Amino acid sequence: MKIKAEYAEESARQVVEAAETRWSGTSLHAEVRHHKSGMKRPYVFINCPKNHWRSVAKWLRFEMGADHCSMITGTHWPEGPDEKKWEIVAHLMRMNVINPPERGGWTEQVIRDPAILQNDDVPMEFEISISIPDTRRPSVPSVQEVWMGADWNEKETWDLVGIEFDGHEGMRRVLQPHDTPVGYHPLQREHKIRYHDAEIMYDDMQGFGRKPADDGKVK
Amino acid sequence: MGPQHPMTHGLWTLKVKVDGETVVDTIPDLGYIHRGVEKICEARDFTKITTYCDRLCYASANTWAHSYIYSAEDLLEVEVPARAEHIRVIAIEIQRIASHLMWLGAFCPDIGNLTAFVWCLREREMMMDLLQELGGSRLHYNFPRIGGVKRDLPIGFAMRARNKLNLFLNRVQETEQMLDESTVFLVRTQGVGYAKPEEMVNHGVTGPNVRAGGVNYDVRWAHPYSVYDELDWEVSVERPSIKGADSYDRYRVRVDEMRQSARMCLDALDKMPGGAETHYTEGDPMILTKARERAEEGKTGFHHFEDSRGESMFYLAGGGDQRGKHPYRISIRSPMFLTIPYAAKCMIGHKVADIPAIMGSFDPCIGETDR
Repeated sequence: MKIKAEYAEESARQVVEAAETRWSGTSLHAEVRHHKSGMKRPYVFINCPKNHWRSVAKWLRFEMGADHCSMITGTHWPEGPDEKKWEIVAHLMRMNVINPPERGGWTEQVIRDPAILQNDDVPMEFEISISIPDTRRPSVPSVQEVWMGADWNEKETWDLVGIEFDGHEGMRRVLQPHDTPVGYHPLQREHKIRYHDAEIMYDDMQGFGRKPADDGKVK
Repeated sequence: MGPQHPMTHGLWTLKVKVDGETVVDTIPDLGYIHRGVEKICEARDFTKITTYCDRLCYASANTWAHSYIYSAEDLLEVEVPARAEHIRVIAIEIQRIASHLMWLGAFCPDIGNLTAFVWCLREREMMMDLLQELGGSRLHYNFPRIGGVKRDLPIGFAMRARNKLNLFLNRVQETEQMLDESTVFLVRTQGVGYAKPEEMVNHGVTGPNVRAGGVNYDVRWAHPYSVYDELDWEVSVERPSIKGADSYDRYRVRVDEMRQSARMCLDALDKMPGGAETHYTEGDPMILTKARERAEEGKTGFHHFEDSRGESMFYLAGGGDQRGKHPYRISIRSPMFLTIPYAAKCMIGHKVADIPAIMGSFDPCIGETDR
């Protein structure tokens, strides 16, 4: 039971070629990369311009078969170059899961022999990186309607990193308390974490709980 | 319902809108135990993050630690010796059995079968003893290292593991018989919480929940890592009705997965390079290679990993503080974070009394969900 390395390699190359043809007029850049440990399996890396992200997502979903949105996450790079102060990284997977066919009231299992999977059928990993230039209000188009799974990923990324998703419906805090102040996103780099400093760790670091009457008082 | 309702198996709230006894709408509300693990890890060395990953899920600590370790090895470009990979597979799969037993033990009392709880925890105890031999503690093992494992198999471990796994394979039949002949169990689980595989994948649900829908997709199968492609095992798939996978199918697929895990462990003990009975000293290159400590800026690493509850992943960006000794950004993909919203949707149209039977069958774990 092994997916053949050369088939996986070929499948990744086909995706890159298709991307170069389909998005030839844009600054989209696709390449085959390899994991650096273990079996060195190939995956597809795409550097996607921000304004094309939604159409690229639809293309990946419906033409390249990337049916599973594994994770969307964001990074804040305050020391980075001007064109990449923020970054969105999306990890997609081609799982090729289909609803099993029905026969006599029961479903047939979809059992596949991994050794013969080729081309579009090979499970494939995608990594998509979107750079956002220096701005006060970082935002990317939302892909909530392309993958249902992207919905909560985007909620979490906005909650923790503070990158907004244009067109996302029902955005709210998911991990942090609902009454967190507007504009507070803990994974932005201006919020420092300090190592083993009991006085700071157990004090009210951000000062949320402080009232005007507490001014000047030290815990 | 929640945060203190027995249905939740953790600490979260499910807001349920009802029409009489029928559920009309649900809103899950998470974040009660958000610790900010991702932020904490930004101020830790790569080697010190493993302990935090253990604590992401108390029922499945070893798989989460390994999930991080594989990502860190991708970032730091580390090659792992084959013997260490075999030991890792044994540790992961024993943990998977323990985790599924914990799930079954917690699920059955919810729907009125207390005996299964005691039986499952009795068998989980054997698995905990084996893991204790490997890692040294009972719940948070801190067993893997970047480049290998903490220490080799103890003397006599192979014999004890074979005995206990074989005993487990016999005993799981008893548990299965009891549940399959229990009318209460069947009535409560069959025909509730239908889930279609395509819909589940679109929502980001993975792991045993998808395989219960009749599709053999497993990260260990599709993106093989470690030595999974050399071992003797099969992806456990269930054959559901045309409406999709119900709670009973999700129970069946997990029981079968425990059997496959035991089979995999026994096979890994046989195929281990150097033999499972020999013992190497600490610092031996057979079990641990020297790994780099720093990662430069601009480098990233990620690794999809089959956790007990689905596909977990760590995304790491190098170039953090201490001249690259800390990660710049660490991001955790939790399978349950995306499964809980979907499970909440599955309840719509069912009765309020069915909610524990549906939610429990998805195996929620809030430690990893809230991070």
